[in-house]
Amino acid sequence: MISSTNLRFAYSAKKTFSFPDIQCKDKETLLILGQSGKGKTTLLHLLALLLKPTSGDIMIAQKSVGNLSAEEATKVRAKNIGIIYQKPHFVSSLSVMDNILLSNYLADQPQNKQKARLLAEKLSFAEHLNKKTSQLSQGEQQRVSIARSLMNDPNVILADEPTSNLDDTNTQKVITLLKEQSASIGASLIVVTHDQRLKDEFSNQVFL
Amino acid sequence: MNVFKISLANLKEKKLNSFLSALLLTLGIGMISLLLLLNKQLDEQFRRNIRGIDMVVGAKGSPLQLILSSIYQIDAPTGNVPLSEVDALRKNPFVKTVIPLSMGDSYQGFRIVGTTPKYTEHFQAKLAQGKLYNASMEVAIGSKVAAQSQLKIGDTFASSHGLDADGDTHKEKKYKVTGIFEPSGSVVDQLIITRLSSVWDVHEHAEEHGAHEESDEKQVTSALIQFRNPMGLLTIPRQINANTSMQAALPSIEINRLFTLLGVGIETLRTLALIIITIAGVSVFVSLYNSLKERKYEMALMLSMGATRSRLFLMLLLEGLMLAVIGFFAGIIASRVGLWLFSRAAEQDFHYSLRKFTILPQEIYLFFAALFIGFLASALPSLGIYRLNISRTLAEE
Repeated sequence: MISSTNLRFAYSAKKTFSFPDIQCKDKETLLILGQSGKGKTTLLHLLALLLKPTSGDIMIAQKSVGNLSAEEATKVRAKNIGIIYQKPHFVSSLSVMDNILLSNYLADQPQNKQKARLLAEKLSFAEHLNKKTSQLSQGEQQRVSIARSLMNDPNVILADEPTSNLDDTNTQKVITLLKEQSASIGASLIVVTHDQRLKDEFSNQVFL
Repeated sequence: MNVFKISLANLKEKKLNSFLSALLLTLGIGMISLLLLLNKQLDEQFRRNIRGIDMVVGAKGSPLQLILSSIYQIDAPTGNVPLSEVDALRKNPFVKTVIPLSMGDSYQGFRIVGTTPKYTEHFQAKLAQGKLYNASMEVAIGSKVAAQSQLKIGDTFASSHGLDADGDTHKEKKYKVTGIFEPSGSVVDQLIITRLSSVWDVHEHAEEHGAHEESDEKQVTSALIQFRNPMGLLTIPRQINANTSMQAALPSIEINRLFTLLGVGIETLRTLALIIITIAGVSVFVSLYNSLKERKYEMALMLSMGATRSRLFLMLLLEGLMLAVIGFFAGIIASRVGLWLFSRAAEQDFHYSLRKFTILPQEIYLFFAALFIGFLASALPSLGIYRLNISRTLAEE
């Protein structure tokens, strides 16, 4: 469950954003649509606690988290928020398996290999677990980053343009997987995109 | 998964860069360590053999050459002096012992030294087998001579003229081995020792057949002198140099001079090694700096996933430290290989071996110095991790 009220953010005096209030309950999904320059990534970073809002507040799991210090925000994020980025980025020197486990390790959680393997089977990239991430296709990489975001059973999954580099078939696959997986752990799923193909996939939508 | 594993994976990812940095460190550390080893062992070898010898007298010429040839048996002798002049020194109240030496022949590159029993007593050489020579033409041989020439007790051999293995052989007179010394670590190990008279016998015999030398006065090559007290040091060398046909050389002074001469070379090599180590540090710095620029997004990603900046800093630091540790141990191994090669060459040319491969105390300091360089070279570029803007870095790509 995640919600925001009166969120504002200013990069400078001239470049300010104010965002509509959003709310996404557990197991629900929300699509945030907007063209480039409307502050999609800024909103996502605010919700991910990567940026601190100029004013307004964010609630995650009934707790106000909008004004935490950087260290506290890092802890909350590591435990409660799974993020999927537009381009799937990884630690290039590590294997697929280790990249997924990194999520546990950096959040100071026990490293659950079994879970990683289970997710890899569900997202059908189990045969690639020992490869380097750069050896995988874009679609496969995006599925790995979904698995990575699920490792700590987060309350909220935030996806930033998860489909912009994918073809129609892979887009369909990724969206279905995202919905299935977030529902299975009871998390809220927020997808931020300009990809019009996703319009029909989500009933709750916000336009920037 | 832990910081250590990630650092190691990062080093492996940049194999060539890591290899270059480690190689430079290996080279620098190896050179310094080799210099330390050589310096220590040469010093030990040189000091061990001059212990108890206060002065050497011999034919006029280079005093260093006299010391090298008479004590260490590595240079050509300066010439011969009359035995009577050497014996005259015995009467001097300051002189405790006079050990005359007569050299000129060799067997398979090992020098045959005619001397008195005082010589082996002085070097505390003990017999492993057999007995000391009694008569002329009987010899006792050092442990290295025995090992390399395969001579056994009772064997006979003909010496060759000169100190190289390829001189003319004195076929008419053969030496007989009566004893083999225990290894002592001193110059005795590489010598064939006999009575003074043997050397005279061999050459008188040769002269009958060949040249015309008419002088029947007995000659020796040099003599090792021990003083009764330090007063001798003050007066006798000057007397000898002024009043006799001989020269007096003081081993401690000549060896210090030799080390001063060597010291310039050692100093140069040491400076070179330090420069190489500095370059190794710069190489670690540059490769980490570059890889950090490439991995900026990775760092931001890990920070967003819950990593603290200190943990990432530690991770990058470990990369530099691991290179330092690898470079250090490879360098230590390289220096031992270098010493082994050097020793092999020295054994062939001079019959001296330098084979102590234990870790020196200075090398422990060297280890910490290597760690410090690794630390500095990785800490400087890694400090950027504390200034990294996570949101901007993630949004930029």
